[in-house]
Amino acid sequence: MPVDTSIKVLIVDDFATMRRIVKGVLKQLGFNNIIEAEDGNAALEELRKEKIGLIVSDWNMPNMSGLDLLKAVRGNEQFKSIPFIMVTAEGQKENVIEAVKSGVSNYIVKPFTPETFNEKLQKVFT
Amino acid sequence: MSLNQEKIAQALDVMALEAVTLEKGNIPAMGNIMNALSDLERETTAFQNALLGHLIKACKSYLERLILSEKEEIDPLEEGIHYLQILCHALARGEGLKEDIGWLLNKLGLDKTELAEAPGPQAGQVRDEGGGKTEAKTEAPVAEEKAGSFGLSEEDRQILSDFVMEALENLEAIEVRLIDLEQDSSNSETINAIFRPFHTIKGVSGFLNLGHINKMAHSAENMLDRARNGKIKIEGPIVDLILESVDLLKKMIQCVQEQLEQGVSQKSEVPYEPLIERIEQVLSEQTEIGDKPLGEILIQKGAVTSEDVQESLAKQKEAPEKKIGEILIEEKKAEPKEVLSALRDQKKFSHGNIDLHVKVDTKKLDSLIDLTGELVINQSILRQNQWILGAKDQKLYHTLNQLNQITSGLQRTAMSLRMVPIRSTFQKMVRLVRDLAKNSGKEVALEMIGEETEIDRNVVDELYEPMVHMIRNAVDHGLELPDVREQNNKDRKGTIRLQAYHRGGNIVIEIEDDGRGLNKEKIIAKAKEKRLIKEEGKMSEVDICNLIFAPGFSTAEKVTDVSGRGVGLDVVKKAIEKLRGRVEINSRAGQGSKFIISLPLTLAIIEGMLVRVGKERYIIPALMILESFRPEKKQYSTVEGKAELILSRSKLIPLVRLDRIFGVQGDSVEPWDGLVVSVEYDGEQRCLLLDELLGKEEVVIKSLGEGMKEIKGIAGGAIMGDGKVGLILDISGIFEIAAHH
Repeated sequence: MPVDTSIKVLIVDDFATMRRIVKGVLKQLGFNNIIEAEDGNAALEELRKEKIGLIVSDWNMPNMSGLDLLKAVRGNEQFKSIPFIMVTAEGQKENVIEAVKSGVSNYIVKPFTPETFNEKLQKVFT
Repeated sequence: MSLNQEKIAQALDVMALEAVTLEKGNIPAMGNIMNALSDLERETTAFQNALLGHLIKACKSYLERLILSEKEEIDPLEEGIHYLQILCHALARGEGLKEDIGWLLNKLGLDKTELAEAPGPQAGQVRDEGGGKTEAKTEAPVAEEKAGSFGLSEEDRQILSDFVMEALENLEAIEVRLIDLEQDSSNSETINAIFRPFHTIKGVSGFLNLGHINKMAHSAENMLDRARNGKIKIEGPIVDLILESVDLLKKMIQCVQEQLEQGVSQKSEVPYEPLIERIEQVLSEQTEIGDKPLGEILIQKGAVTSEDVQESLAKQKEAPEKKIGEILIEEKKAEPKEVLSALRDQKKFSHGNIDLHVKVDTKKLDSLIDLTGELVINQSILRQNQWILGAKDQKLYHTLNQLNQITSGLQRTAMSLRMVPIRSTFQKMVRLVRDLAKNSGKEVALEMIGEETEIDRNVVDELYEPMVHMIRNAVDHGLELPDVREQNNKDRKGTIRLQAYHRGGNIVIEIEDDGRGLNKEKIIAKAKEKRLIKEEGKMSEVDICNLIFAPGFSTAEKVTDVSGRGVGLDVVKKAIEKLRGRVEINSRAGQGSKFIISLPLTLAIIEGMLVRVGKERYIIPALMILESFRPEKKQYSTVEGKAELILSRSKLIPLVRLDRIFGVQGDSVEPWDGLVVSVEYDGEQRCLLLDELLGKEEVVIKSLGEGMKEIKGIAGGAIMGDGKVGLILDISGIFEIAAHH
């Protein structure tokens, strides 16, 4: 099933280059409606302002980590059903389990290709 | 037990329901099952049934592997959950399980042994855990292929160059963070802040196919990860390794940058394997170490003796629940106040003050300060306007008064905008001291006090070099080798103390060491040899010490053992004087030395002596003036009718006629008709001949603009109270001009 690429995607990462890379991958998959935030706090602010259809967040960020953001999103009536993909590094096994327990929609391990990302998206949106 | 039944049933229902429809990759459903399993585990502890415990654990571990894509078969989990239901129901009835489910545990847990026996290094395993075996295999070549074409597309070039910039910036930040860590090595937020750049660089370099950078960052990240989990303590060798990793990564990334600029494909030329090996070796040797003890801080502060601490430590062994501070207070060895303050010191660095900041171009700031300065002057011109002075309007005066208050408030704020804490300069010294100590085989502790003291942004940059010079001096020549220190009943570890504070309109920076101090006899001998002084009879101790700043006191040859100091300190003095500051040194033999630098808070305002030469007015920086007087005829002499000299305090000082230098007509043809102001720069004196002293004034320095930047003898201009411009004299330039006349 093709994923609706008109939804607004929120990329959360403290490293600008990383945001750019993720953005590039999403664009290759046809997403053009993309906004960015540099940590969990900023992401929550965007969530309050805009209608977000997908969150792609890094794990390790200052101020508010990806896990805390996930918990905040899942604990909020308004946001709790927004698909949430966590980007983790290889070898962060415990993090993945932790995120799954907290209700993450899926996770993806860096570095990834557009193909892998698409697979995950398919799983999230079916 | 009946209380739990409902929750147990609920957990079992959730699991059963999710398991039936569970598909590979349905992460949220797996999350639900995982949480239900955890609930079940918690609720069934009362059963104290080992079999149930095993089964839950087996299900959880199998589910974890499903989540991590290490396993794809869902059936075993389904079966496991099925038997969980059976077992729970049986236990609720007070029965056991009739069937042997060893085969199921095997099926669920089989992979555990499989995994443990799997050959290959740790890293390979970790990689597989992440993406799943099949995925990782197909993914890796794709990623490489993709990255192989990177250097070509403009977008990718952009990403690469962004990465270079961002990564370098992040690496810079690590050095600064390390200082915080040295003060409080258990601060997890700081460790995390150091960990993060490595982690991110690793992540991004993976995308960009920068394999060597990826590996190096990964290795450094591993080390930090251990520290983050409290497994190792960040100190000594670990800090060195972190710094080396930072340096190496910087080099590697700069290499990428160069190749990016030259358009060559990326290939590392920096050998990084040896460092990775060393990191791994150190990690395998490292053992856990405790925190920096409170007792040590108290001893440093002089609140207690080390015997007191030893005694109390012994007592602590008998009553381990007591804190060392409590024992010290109970034994009346230390005042509660002292212990509290030591505790604060221990914690001081854990609270990172995060202020909100806006980055502003300093040029904009400068122009703001400039404009405010002009506003202040215009405002005072307005007040002195004849019409206004003659007006009898109360309201006008009231408004003018308010304007006055607002403008001076504005000026204060504008000035403060350019002030920055001296912290960053101090922190740069940490690395320096560490490297110096290592090279010289000395043990050095660096203490910093008053890092929050603010100083003009422009001064901060200029201050760096002289400070490096003085600290190098203190470590190289001031501090003794550990063995020597021990023989002299000193701590093996020498201390360099940096301190900054405000005094009057100045910022004072002290660099203090507890080394051997200056050897006055040797300084005097050296100064005599260099003909800097004739005899020491009249000289005070301070004067003798400060001889080391005299130009020509030291030469390029190594004179390190002359008093242990003196390599080119005149350079330091010159640099500080350029900032319109002063530097001096105090020393006590055997106890150490202290450099004291005093600088004006800002370079934008100068205290000047307003003088008149003919119809022109000039401003002489007050700091450079030694004295002013009207010479008598007998004090004046000439050499061959050319060089003019003034005899003052039994010294012959060359006379400089300001009117001739600037090509104006002065009133005083003979020196005894006018006034001379004696100024000093770089150890030399000159007498400036002028007509009148108009008074002391604080003026805002303004540049004369690009076109007149290079004019010798003039440092800038200032608008005077009456709205006219006065030129500020550049004394060193005047010395030069006079020498050529």
